[in-house]
Amino acid sequence: MCNLELRGIEKHLAEFQAAGVRPVAISVDTPEQSRDLCKKAGYTFSLLSDPNTEVIRRYHLLHTGGGPDGHDISRPAEFLVDSNGVVRWANFTEDVRVSRAC
Amino acid sequence: MADLTQRRRNWPLWAGVLLLAAGLLSNALFFVSFPGQQFAPWLNLALFVASAIFFIAGLRRAIAQPQVYRGKIAGWIFTVISVLLLAFTVFVFYISRALPAASAASPQVGQKAPEFALADTNGQTVSLTQLLAGSNSAARPKAVLLVFYRGYW
Repeated sequence: MCNLELRGIEKHLAEFQAAGVRPVAISVDTPEQSRDLCKKAGYTFSLLSDPNTEVIRRYHLLHTGGGPDGHDISRPAEFLVDSNGVVRWANFTEDVRVSRAC
Repeated sequence: MADLTQRRRNWPLWAGVLLLAAGLLSNALFFVSFPGQQFAPWLNLALFVASAIFFIAGLRRAIAQPQVYRGKIAGWIFTVISVLLLAFTVFVFYISRALPAASAASPQVGQKAPEFALADTNGQTVSLTQLLAGSNSAARPKAVLLVFYRGYW
């Protein structure tokens, strides 16, 4: 279901670009899995891989045992980071079925 | 002996049918984005609860006054279907929200976003600093939107 959010970003990519916002998606998926997803779903923005949940933990977003077979994954969250590296907006989804209206 | 065709229509059962249909249709709201979409799961749940209430009310009428109201058999069928769908909806609702609470330790508005360097789909390492500076293929952005998603889909 969280693909809905990525799909929403792809749909509004032109608007993001016009606003000077570069969307970047991060998950525990390996680069290979992300590449398959990009190919299948036609995503043209960057998908980054954090299979060891190193960055996910650095952002305190770890969902322990949230993935299949009890894998640790990221809880859904979004951060808008300005050019100085400062967070300007943050959102923590409470329901995985909620796709942020972009 | 009461004439079967003379019995009154059991309106709560019909209201239940409409609410059940609306509840099923509301599942589609997850696939569209509009302002207020975050309330779609609650709406879905409320419609199923309401339909179950109407079915139970209609069924009670049909059982209590079978000579007045129709729908004793249909009432049972709809009530069972409605309650099963409600149970499934509650289950999905619970599973969908079984997320750890947002941590206060996560970067907050006004704080610096922690630096990172991760592999992209080509295996190239990309850092937050690089993303903010803009790469050779893209101009320097005004902002970067970091979207953490669950993966495995």
